[in-house]
Amino acid sequence: MSIHIEGVNKRFGDFVAVDNVNLDIKTGELTALLGPSGSGKTTLLRIIAGLEHPDSGVIRFNSEDITGQHVSERGVGFVFQHYALFKHMTVFENVAYGLTVKPKKLRPSKAEIAKKVNKLLELVQLDWTADRYPSQLSGGQRQRIALARALAVEPKVLLLDEPFGALDAKVRAELRRWLRRLHDEIHVTSVFVTHDQEEALEVADRIVVMNKGRIEQDGTPEQVYDNPANPFVYEFLGNVNLFHARVKASGETKFTSASDDTAQQADEQDGLAYVRAHEIEVLTSAEPDALPVTLDLITMVGPTARLEVLNQQDGKLVHIELPKEQFKALNLKSGDAAWIKPKYSQVFLGEGI
Amino acid sequence: MTTTNTLPLTSAAAVQDTPKATAEPRWVKWTLVGTALTFLTLFLILPLMVVLYGAFEAGMQVWWQAVTEPDALAAIRLTLFVLLIVVPLNAVFGVAIAWAIAKFEFRGKTILISIIDMPFAISPVVVGLIFVILLGSQGWFGPWLAEHDLRIIFAVPGIVIVILFGTLPFVARELIPLMQQQGKEEEEASLTLGASGWKTFWYVTLPNIKWGLIYGVVLCNARAMGEFGAVAIVSGRIRGETNTMPLHIEVLYNEYMFTAAFAVSSLLTGLALVTIVVKSWIEWKDERKKTSSTAR
Repeated sequence: MSIHIEGVNKRFGDFVAVDNVNLDIKTGELTALLGPSGSGKTTLLRIIAGLEHPDSGVIRFNSEDITGQHVSERGVGFVFQHYALFKHMTVFENVAYGLTVKPKKLRPSKAEIAKKVNKLLELVQLDWTADRYPSQLSGGQRQRIALARALAVEPKVLLLDEPFGALDAKVRAELRRWLRRLHDEIHVTSVFVTHDQEEALEVADRIVVMNKGRIEQDGTPEQVYDNPANPFVYEFLGNVNLFHARVKASGETKFTSASDDTAQQADEQDGLAYVRAHEIEVLTSAEPDALPVTLDLITMVGPTARLEVLNQQDGKLVHIELPKEQFKALNLKSGDAAWIKPKYSQVFLGEGI
Repeated sequence: MTTTNTLPLTSAAAVQDTPKATAEPRWVKWTLVGTALTFLTLFLILPLMVVLYGAFEAGMQVWWQAVTEPDALAAIRLTLFVLLIVVPLNAVFGVAIAWAIAKFEFRGKTILISIIDMPFAISPVVVGLIFVILLGSQGWFGPWLAEHDLRIIFAVPGIVIVILFGTLPFVARELIPLMQQQGKEEEEASLTLGASGWKTFWYVTLPNIKWGLIYGVVLCNARAMGEFGAVAIVSGRIRGETNTMPLHIEVLYNEYMFTAAFAVSSLLTGLALVTIVVKSWIEWKDERKKTSSTAR
């Protein structure tokens, strides 16, 4: 089932949550809606589900306009951030719920329901919890039950709202790998909302970056990470540094500083260069085009060394990440002078200068 | 090895010797418990004993006569009849209003919340007078009611109306914070799973608010039985017809029939106690069902 979002708008009072969004989601794809809080990603997801009604615009499943259709008739599976399991029902009853509330004519027999529920519980590897209550399960287990419950009605579309947001880091990493494998198995068109770029990059087939109710970029994880469409996407996907830069007509880029007042050449253009923290080389001696810096703060985070260095020309802070071993080999300490050279950068001409 | 062996011992001893950092001194604890118990004894248990003593002082037979005498029976019947109308109506109303307030956003919500409390704030006597002014024969709607041959004041409908008014907040008050705290995610989950609004209410909302609802109903029930001031004004106190149990007790008391007054009082108190016992019993059964299934 493909999803088509055409010119959708939604306001809450004065706040524009979704601003004229157009988006097509292909059948069987696992798409991430990625953005900071307040970017409208959850609202968009709820509009697809039918839990929220758009002020204007059309939602289609395949070619069918379902904008006016009630949630209960859309056949979507929805997974909530805080699980929303029915507290007073056992795990079995929770998963069976979607089948037991079907009208009598369409309802499977009790034996069929039991068979299906048990199969789903096996799929989420929690068949031993059938008789328990949700309060007796851990967060990760609850979310897997919530997923099994959503899958029980064989949804045409699976929607997940920050599904791992309430879990601790280790469980979260485990579950997202598990979700990826599960999706490869069942291939239901899925959309999940997240503010965690790492999660989106790891799990999704496709990432839609949202900001202030609008779509900033839409592409595969690689496209979005390697070729950010604009500074917002660049900054949102990972730690970045900004440099003033001059770009020659030949494409050659030179980093400068804000206080650099040497005359601009005729064939040069001012711009802002975006460089990720791990795409900067640290040198112990001067080289052409390398910027002189002073080491300020050094933090070891597991296998990575995180450095904060000050640009000697304008005193601006630059974040650098490099493997611990590599940093040790440089034999540098706080207060030392060094030179840095971007290995890779993206320049946005005339942005914010 | 030796250190690992001795360490738990010494630390355990240390825990026992020094009081917990967060614990209050003993005298604070016992003063609080003592105050609470003394208060309960003086103002709850002692009066209850007095009622029971007064009721059974002259023996079982006198008690039985007092509660089976025709006027008393009429009062008991009327009280139960009013309960049957008022409690279900207020339960439905309470759920509806709590639902509206907790799950929807609309203008005037805060005003509505404060209006719900009005019956608690207004003196019952004033409530009675309001309805007499509105519906009495000299009242605003009096002539119209007389034309259509409807008697409300000094009749059973008037009693039902003032008790309905007086006990209106109980269920709603109990449910509003509960439903607000629960949010609407479970209902939304139910809807996405294909359940209709009605099924969602029945299978998800109602079980979640069950305890609040039962508690609200018990309080509403107890208050509806005991309502005096407003009823005294609108009922007209026609013996055997518009006297509820509290009014009947007052009549007996004013006629110096103390034993009979105490007898009916004990019955009224008994009814209230029964509702509380029923509530505790349901609670206990539910608890047992839950623990037995978790033990598996």
